Amino acid sequence: MTRVSNGAPSVALPGALIEADGLGMRYGTGRLALDGANLSVAAGELLVILGHNGCGKSTLLKCIAGLLRPTAGRVLVAGRDITSLSGRSLSEARMAMAMVFQQARLVGRRSVLANVQCGTLGRHRTVASAVGVLPRTEQPLAMACLEEVGLADFAAQRAGTLSGGQAQRASIARALAQRPAALLADEPVASLDPEASEEVMRLLRRISAEDGLGVICVLHQPALARRYADRILGMRQGRVMFDAAPAGIADDRMQALYEGVANDGAMHAGVVHTGAVQASAAQGGMAYGGQVTHGVTT
Amino acid sequence: MSTTVKDRVLRDRATRGTLFATGRWGGSAWGFLGLLVFLIVLAQATLVVQARPQDLITGAHGMADILRRAMPPDFSKLPDELWPALETVDIAFFGTTAAVLLAVPLAILSAHNTTPARPLYAAARSLIALCRAVPDLVWALLFVTAVGLGPFPGALAVSVHSIGMLGRLFAEVIEDMDMGPVEALTTTGANRLQVFSHAVVPSVLPSLLGIALYRLDENIRSSLVLGFVGAGGLGFELLTAMNLFQYRTVSLLLLLTFAIVILTERMSAALRRHIA
Repeated sequence: MTRVSNGAPSVALPGALIEADGLGMRYGTGRLALDGANLSVAAGELLVILGHNGCGKSTLLKCIAGLLRPTAGRVLVAGRDITSLSGRSLSEARMAMAMVFQQARLVGRRSVLANVQCGTLGRHRTVASAVGVLPRTEQPLAMACLEEVGLADFAAQRAGTLSGGQAQRASIARALAQRPAALLADEPVASLDPEASEEVMRLLRRISAEDGLGVICVLHQPALARRYADRILGMRQGRVMFDAAPAGIADDRMQALYEGVANDGAMHAGVVHTGAVQASAAQGGMAYGGQVTHGVTT
Repeated sequence: MSTTVKDRVLRDRATRGTLFATGRWGGSAWGFLGLLVFLIVLAQATLVVQARPQDLITGAHGMADILRRAMPPDFSKLPDELWPALETVDIAFFGTTAAVLLAVPLAILSAHNTTPARPLYAAARSLIALCRAVPDLVWALLFVTAVGLGPFPGALAVSVHSIGMLGRLFAEVIEDMDMGPVEALTTTGANRLQVFSHAVVPSVLPSLLGIALYRLDENIRSSLVLGFVGAGGLGFELLTAMNLFQYRTVSLLLLLTFAIVILTERMSAALRRHIA
């Protein structure tokens, strides 16, 4: 098995928006969740992180988002080291990155527009905003964000009435209203049906390509990753196994991410992966003109 | 064959398991024992409360007599009773409002997902438990002694007991709240107050309002009783009329009570439906 970027110093791209350099994370229990992980995302790039459950994908994302402080290495956002920041300067640095989660996490009783406007709160420290009044000046921006995700017609509706896919798109609109430089998505399609998943992935792709945001997206579906990612970063047991464009990753290397990992999450992945890899081979074959080797069908 | 013996043992165990643990009544033997215990407890309760159904029959004459003397209600007294009726409603209204204002901060302190510190959590929990454990009638007796006769001790009693009831229910609503929006807003860079007012408040407000309205409804009924210990309102009038054997006034007061209770019940139910 070949290790591509593990341990090697990261290549500092001139346009790198986010860079993680030798990130290590050892939890209080002694478990090593991240082991020298490197990562870089440029503006306008969509990076997908793949790996088995518990491989450190989410830990990596949280370290980048500034929600967890890594025990080794550093994270640079637009060239600035955020791992050494704390308090006010850390929360300011965090605001350059918006997060999207597996669940949309909207306030169901408020309108879709109000939920999106909540994304702008970080820029407004007024007394009115502290007692529940939304900044009115941000309404046009919130509306534009809703238009971007295709939900302008739902603006006045209660967020609780949206379908799963619509709610996830509304949460992306809320993230956009934050006016971030990067979007970090933690399994954004894990609880959506295939059609809604495609829609969300298309949206993320458009946000990176057209709005020039750096997008990092943790996924469980190799097939989706192949079709939408500019680059795929494969993780296994806290280490980065590969970091390459989808066309350059053979199916057996993708499959190797999920093989023989001794935890129940990996067992789950093991049950799923044969089908998923077959599907990815088929879909990847279509999307990339048959460049993918069909070597791993069982 | 050893396997068949083993199978039979396993089957026996399984049958016993359903008999004693998983049956609808927890197995017939346990069910019988439970019934027996219930009957014994019921028998002692019957003895202790000195239940004598025959007294109901011999007392029927006396009740008929009271009913006859209470009819028709003395409507000429109605203008005099309007003020006490307003007092009763206002004791409940004032008491509930004050209780809501005090219960909300206590509930925030005593919900494990919003409490700022462990000692505050424990203190708020104990205070709420104390308010709830003492019945409002007892609070009224205490406050009448402290601030004298009238509606104010009644309002205080309603308020203190309601803090106990509302504090616990509010805390439960806050604890059951979906924390997703809270975390999402925190990551957008909103500060603690903004997260509270934009994510916590809109999520829990309808439930809190519904609970508060239901409490108002309960408090109107309890403020009627509080008058009996001198805390103003219709209850006090009722006690006076009873002591003076003015049964036609008593029936008027009962009608008035009935009207107020039904009216507020309907109104609070309609409002709660509107909020939900």
